[in-house]
Amino acid sequence: MKPFLCKALIISLLVFHITFLHSQTPKIIFAPQWLPQAQFAGYYVAQEKGFYKEAGIAVEIIHPSANTQATELLATGKADIISLFLITGISAKNKGLDLVNIGQISQHSAILFVTKKSRGIDKLAKLNGKKIGIWKSGFDEVPKALMQEKNYNVEWVPILSTVNLFMMDGIDALTVMSYNEYDYIINCGVNEDELNVFPVSDYGYDVPEDGLYCLKSTYEKRKSDFDKFLQATFKGWDYAAANKEFAMDIVLKRMKEAHVPANRVHQGWMLDKVLEIVLTPNKGVKRGELLESDFLKAAGILDNSTKSEIKFTFNEFYKPLGK
Amino acid sequence: MKRTTLSYHIIRNVLLFCIGLFLVTFSIYYYFTRNTIRDDTSENAIFMAKNIVNRIEQVLTPAEKNPEIIAKMLESSFLDKDSLVPFLKSMLKGNQNVYGSIIAYEPNFFPEQGLYFAPYVYRQGDSINSSILGDKNYEYFYMDWYQIPKITNAPYWSEPYFDEGGGNVLMTTYSVPFYTYKNGQRTFSGIVTVDISLEWLTKIMSQVKILNTGYAFLLSRNGVIIAHPNKDYVMNQSIFTIARENNQPALRETGRKMIQGKSNFESAGFKSEWKPGKLWINYAPLPSSNWSIAVIYPEDEMFASLHRMNIILIVLILFGLSVLSFVIYKIVKKLTAPLKHFAESARLIAAGNFNVHLPEIKTDDEMKELHNSFSFMQKELGDYVINLKDTTAAKEKIESELRIAKEIQMSMIPHIFPPFPDLPQIDVFAVLKSAKEVGGDLYDFFVIDGNKFCFAIGDVSGKGVPASLFMAVTRTLVRSISDKEYSPSVIVGTLNKSISQNNESSMFVTFFLGVLDLSNGNLKYTNAGHNPPVIIKNNKEAVMFEKTKYIPVGLFEDFEYGESSLQLESGDKIFLYTDGVSEAENSENKLFGDGTIMDIVSMNVTASPRELIGKMEEGISAHVNGFAQSDDITMMTIVYNG
Repeated sequence: MKPFLCKALIISLLVFHITFLHSQTPKIIFAPQWLPQAQFAGYYVAQEKGFYKEAGIAVEIIHPSANTQATELLATGKADIISLFLITGISAKNKGLDLVNIGQISQHSAILFVTKKSRGIDKLAKLNGKKIGIWKSGFDEVPKALMQEKNYNVEWVPILSTVNLFMMDGIDALTVMSYNEYDYIINCGVNEDELNVFPVSDYGYDVPEDGLYCLKSTYEKRKSDFDKFLQATFKGWDYAAANKEFAMDIVLKRMKEAHVPANRVHQGWMLDKVLEIVLTPNKGVKRGELLESDFLKAAGILDNSTKSEIKFTFNEFYKPLGK
Repeated sequence: MKRTTLSYHIIRNVLLFCIGLFLVTFSIYYYFTRNTIRDDTSENAIFMAKNIVNRIEQVLTPAEKNPEIIAKMLESSFLDKDSLVPFLKSMLKGNQNVYGSIIAYEPNFFPEQGLYFAPYVYRQGDSINSSILGDKNYEYFYMDWYQIPKITNAPYWSEPYFDEGGGNVLMTTYSVPFYTYKNGQRTFSGIVTVDISLEWLTKIMSQVKILNTGYAFLLSRNGVIIAHPNKDYVMNQSIFTIARENNQPALRETGRKMIQGKSNFESAGFKSEWKPGKLWINYAPLPSSNWSIAVIYPEDEMFASLHRMNIILIVLILFGLSVLSFVIYKIVKKLTAPLKHFAESARLIAAGNFNVHLPEIKTDDEMKELHNSFSFMQKELGDYVINLKDTTAAKEKIESELRIAKEIQMSMIPHIFPPFPDLPQIDVFAVLKSAKEVGGDLYDFFVIDGNKFCFAIGDVSGKGVPASLFMAVTRTLVRSISDKEYSPSVIVGTLNKSISQNNESSMFVTFFLGVLDLSNGNLKYTNAGHNPPVIIKNNKEAVMFEKTKYIPVGLFEDFEYGESSLQLESGDKIFLYTDGVSEAENSENKLFGDGTIMDIVSMNVTASPRELIGKMEEGISAHVNGFAQSDDITMMTIVYNG
């Protein structure tokens, strides 16, 4: 190779590389912990309305599948930020995934025990000795901790995703999210006055749920990008709250794209319920902030249920963005 | 007032009655026909739903047999582990409706197979393939098709689902638990399933034709729409989400009854988003899968035949009513035509033409009767008028005679005032007003021998011609008697004697007669039952004469009359009157009375005789106030100017 040619190639490569670096807006891949639904309306709205772009970041939203959980997407680098329940986040970190909480989106628990009135269970104590359906895929720590604390002997029946076993009276009670499965039951023709409901938050287990997580290693490098992401996401939530029909249109579009059965009524219900726990925390907490008391409550529950000591402190777990 | 005709009245009343009758009949007809149509539709709907149910059951029920037989075979250990796949394959070959079949075992059932063992045979295009399911990513133990029949210990038709692997076909799975004996214990060991495509279901449902736009839909046990003409609903919506989305609580209630396995035909309380108008619904459950089928009948189409009939009926009835009106008009016109002639005839008869020609009536009915009555009236009127003419002529004659009689009577009493212009000592004024043509009152005055002024006033009992004749007799007698006599008592006594003789009719006369000596003012008088006159002394004091004790003239032939005397001064006045004055009645039967007479006289003590009588007449006129005069009124006033 001739020296001139060699020089030219090196120079042009350098120039290309520099222009490439300058023109590229930072990209963030975000993965919520479940398939598209109104629970994540804020992210879709922020993306659709260009709030991320305005903030100077490019955001791609990917979803976990039946085989690939969000934590796996984070661990393998397929996602930069994921959304997880607080307890799941603590549990994952304890199991060795070096993640940090960079913002707490929801501030309350939406978990309920629901039973048909016909089963005669009109107070929590009557769940003792009963069969209770619970998600097989996780989120089970809080309800289980509550039952354990009460010392109720419960037969837990793992359920994949439907309410059919509950509808067929194969179980006495079902653990549900107020924004999700509870409404499925209503949409199966059971009236609300035919149900007894026991929210775990009524029994001291109001553990916050959805929060945002990233790997500790990327946190240090991309703190400012992630902060832009968090702020733009909240902007998306605010916009969704003010424009519910618009938000619903986007959610349903995303669901159809992902071939997830979409039902506007149910998603509308979910959006209303999720907005309640995201935007009206009602407990003196800053937006996106994780309270140490909530961390300790969750860690305690996990501690108790898995009999494994939490190996890190609040400050090691929670890394707030911004100043 | 607007002039209306008889036919208008008859047509109006008949039409009103007919319309009322029609409305009642129509309402009853409508009510019963509607009920009949509803019952028929109900029967039809029940039949239709049953038919659809049967057609679906024809596929579902046989499909239940295969897994049930396999479960029995597994329980009896007819099948060993290696023959499962070939067996399932042969089963699929023989059952075109079955798309796939699994025999899923409990964890670690075959220790050598590990945790999962679920042989699966399925169609792929025209070939039948097999695989063994179950791994970390396909933990079938927790899936509805496995878990629900296991826990409920009963076969289970799954909620329909889209099979994404097999060409996105709507499928449902029938799962049957099977048992094996372990250490002599019948133990739950797994689930046998068959997957059934529901494509034929859509075909069956789309073949359902209900009226023009009626339709059928199918709900799963959870209320999810499995089949519906609106494809967007299928598997995306449940009847309950549709109810909520469209804010139709009644739809939710119907949905609840449906998934509870009830059946009924009823008027739907909800509206369909894509089929406007009122709807009827019939729903019935599918016994095998507990799904529920509903058939929807649009009410307007259900009752379309009835509405068509109604329109035809109304047009016919309107036409009928018009024809009826026309016919009534014609009949009434024909029947009442003579009435017009009768009316004209009546008018002519009223005008006096009694010989007018009456319309000819050929029928023997009411019109004939009217004709007869008219002709009778015509004849009677003619007779009556002739009679009346005679009577009137007679009456006129009598009246004219009476007029003459009155003139004669009036000419018998003095009626020129002042009567004695050459006798300054005396002034007289008198009036006589008969209640009838002729009357029974009288007054008279004359001078005897140049210085005796004789005056009289009287009232014959009764009225009219007899009284007037009696009065004429009395007056004539008085004149003739006083020719030779000056004494009032003698004059009256003689008068009484003459009248009483031959007094066949027993009439009598009240009579006052006075003789005034013009030279000295001495008044002698006899009062035979007459009203006492009034004397006005010195133009001041008015006093009534004392009441008489003598009876009227003409009653007893031998009655002895006496006389009284009174000295008049110059200017004294005497006011005489008959009971026609004192007993003048007004409409309230109140008499004029002596008191009023005295009042009027007292107020006019200085008046001349003419003025005094004028005042008295005014007083009477004011009192009776237009009430008919019932008795003769006679007044006379005399002034002595000696």
